[in-house]
Amino acid sequence: MSRRIGSALAALLVASAAPAAEEVQVSARADADEVALDGTLNLQIKATVSSKGDQADLTLPDLKDFDVVSRSQSEQVAFTFLNGSPTFRRTTVTTVKLAPRREGQLAIESARVTYKGRTYTTQPIAIRALPPGQAPAPKARAQAAPPPPLPDPFTEDVTLDPFQDAHPQSRDLVLRASVDRERPFVGQQITYSLYLLARVNVSGIDKLQLPRLDGFWSEEIEAPQQLVGEARIIDGVPYRAFLLRKRALFPLRAGKVEVEPAEVEVMTGFGMLFSRSSTRRASQPVTLDVQPLPEARKPAGFDAGNVGSWTLTASVDPVAVAVGQPVTFKLVAQGRGNVRNLALPKLGQIPGLRAYDATSNDKESVDQGQVTGTRTVEQLLVPERTGAMEIPSLSMDVFDPAQKGYRAVRTDPIRLEVHAAPANASVGSQVPAQNLLAAGGLRPIRLRMTRASVEAPPWTRGWFWPLLAVGPVAVALVAGAGRLRRLLARDPAEERVKKARSAARARLRGAEALLEEQRRGNGSASDFHAEVARALTGYLADKQGIEAAGLTREELGRALLDRGHPPGTVRAVLGVLDECDRARFAPGGADLPSQEARLERAGRLLGELEKVRRGA
Amino acid sequence: MTRLALAALCAASAARAGVSVPPEARGNPLFDQANAAYLSGDTSRAVAGYEALLEEGLVSPELETNLGAAYLRQGKRGLAGLHLERALFLDPSDDDARANLLEVRRGNVDKLEGETEDAGTEVLSRVLAPLPGRPAAVALVALWTLGWGLLAANSLRPRASVGTSAAACFILAGAAALVTAGSAAAHRLTLRRAVVVAQAAPAREGPSDRAASHFEVHEGTALRIEDEDHGFRRVKLANGLTGWVPAAAVEPVVPAGWSNQHRL
Repeated sequence: MSRRIGSALAALLVASAAPAAEEVQVSARADADEVALDGTLNLQIKATVSSKGDQADLTLPDLKDFDVVSRSQSEQVAFTFLNGSPTFRRTTVTTVKLAPRREGQLAIESARVTYKGRTYTTQPIAIRALPPGQAPAPKARAQAAPPPPLPDPFTEDVTLDPFQDAHPQSRDLVLRASVDRERPFVGQQITYSLYLLARVNVSGIDKLQLPRLDGFWSEEIEAPQQLVGEARIIDGVPYRAFLLRKRALFPLRAGKVEVEPAEVEVMTGFGMLFSRSSTRRASQPVTLDVQPLPEARKPAGFDAGNVGSWTLTASVDPVAVAVGQPVTFKLVAQGRGNVRNLALPKLGQIPGLRAYDATSNDKESVDQGQVTGTRTVEQLLVPERTGAMEIPSLSMDVFDPAQKGYRAVRTDPIRLEVHAAPANASVGSQVPAQNLLAAGGLRPIRLRMTRASVEAPPWTRGWFWPLLAVGPVAVALVAGAGRLRRLLARDPAEERVKKARSAARARLRGAEALLEEQRRGNGSASDFHAEVARALTGYLADKQGIEAAGLTREELGRALLDRGHPPGTVRAVLGVLDECDRARFAPGGADLPSQEARLERAGRLLGELEKVRRGA
Repeated sequence: MTRLALAALCAASAARAGVSVPPEARGNPLFDQANAAYLSGDTSRAVAGYEALLEEGLVSPELETNLGAAYLRQGKRGLAGLHLERALFLDPSDDDARANLLEVRRGNVDKLEGETEDAGTEVLSRVLAPLPGRPAAVALVALWTLGWGLLAANSLRPRASVGTSAAACFILAGAAALVTAGSAAAHRLTLRRAVVVAQAAPAREGPSDRAASHFEVHEGTALRIEDEDHGFRRVKLANGLTGWVPAAAVEPVVPAGWSNQHRL
């Protein structure tokens, strides 16, 4: 015997009539698209109408290929406030258990639902009946499964089934919290879902208390206004699973984080009027192990908020403008992730462009269960110079959890043409339409190169200071040489004056020698007196410039007096000369003692004559 | 071989970008190719080309200016400041190097407060740097020697015109001596001038890694080297802050090779 396995359901949404489309929803689905001949399948037809009291009439399709094993019907009314007014949604679910009558390709024809005179039909469902005892192929079950979840951008991550580890243990009501991944990166989106699993009829919920989500930035993904359940078989027990909330969470820091339990009050019973009781339920806590962003290949200065799958585009409008007229630079980051934490690159200073403060605008939306966002940064730029300008490429490093790696997204450089404004363009405008050539910026490089000399400065050279001394030294040498020359070239008369005294003394010493010879009996007194007279007259001639030989005694006396000699000295000189003359020409007229006395007087007179010479 | 490879790389880079140096500006092929690489936006190759020329021993203010600009474009403010300072040392009248140096300093991390102690030195150095020290020194020697010669001639054979000429020579020699002294002072200051090339370096109380550090200096900051010991340099900032930094963190504006170099 082959039984259907799993809980895959084939669902086909019904096309409904246009006018009442918003009020009526009709669908039919089978829980398998293959069934063994000895097995059964469940056909579920659901009709939802926006009415408190009116009920839709269901007409089962022609089930010529099936036997109806059993039939059941349930009904629930949901009451919600929509736009400030109460809204009722009555849902009638009819479940028919069918057993195929034959093998082969079978069809469940369209069911019809009549409501307020209008008829709505479901689409036919194709069922393949297998021989008895043959299990339906898993593929067939998969094909019959609800539409697969839209591609997860983080395909490498394992998205968890919210009920994979749920074990209600036959409890009637279970509040189930789940996340789609348990080891997210910091900044990566995880989806927190809160389901109510029920084996009893749930007429409504109240006082839903979501946990505090400290350590997360969260965004609402889905908050159903009415309870719509889907059948789940958990541990072999059929349950109705009602989605109560779905939120996107972005962990803000790494480490173990626990999401506290949620609580809800569940009203059970049939419809509003037959609600029997209310029960409070709490979910289990959820523990996450938030991974830090990998350090390997982490770009320098990476901003931890740039996590997600982002693109970056830049534009300038207009791209050709007159000088002084503003253009709008727009930088747009778009993608999946938490746009609020995104750190966009900033436009640096561009020579010739005056930039005003940028404005930023964030938009968030949910697309296929993923939070997407767009940040638009607009900045007013006013060109101040004519010519072509380039707005450089901007780059932003992001961590892409899908790739588990870093990558750089960048814009293309944008060329801006700025032309001269008409002469009157500046009138009334805020910015003068002039070609402002402000100083600053990097100067252009040099295209020609000259070789420089880095000689040591002259004052550090060894020759510098000696060379400075050359002039003074040369002059000193010249002066010294002149002096030497003067010294070497002496006047004979001067020489005689200087040597007059020593010459006179030498003669007196000669006279003394002659006197000594006389004592021995050999000398002549005449020679002695001649020598004494020559000593005096020679001295007077050399020193005093008086040629005594050509003068009378009176003339000699006057000459000596004229040169300042004392009269006593003059008389003594004249006396000695007279005595010498007498002794020379009168033989025997002088004895030795008188000669000695005369020699002594001559010597003393030389000293006295020298004094007057020095004094003059 | 390295030079050829670099030239080829620079040329390829420039060719891709469609940038070329005007024919009339051609001179040194590697310099031209490095310029072309710079103009095409490939600053890495431009830097490699310029550095290769420096390694060859080429000394040129334009080479230093261009290398400084290339480093500045790469965001290496320390090396940019160093080479622009060298360009100004080689040619104090280089306005482009001076303007680029201002750009470097505008973005410096270090902002000195209380610039009183050595601010005068900095200003003095800037004022004195353009003085024509070398010609003034030569003129000093010539005028001084001539003055003494005329003085000697006047003492041998006094004449009024010779004496007046000697006096004029001594007055002019005095003026030349003042210019030479100013230039020598500026030269002395420049020889001790340096730039921080490391991104950041702790300034310590002594020449040791274990000595306490009370402040950090960052790339691009100009300072003076006061002493050197055990792989550390004692540096003084313009506001008088003094400390020992690792020798590799600062580079003297006048490299050791230049002070010994004569004609290139």
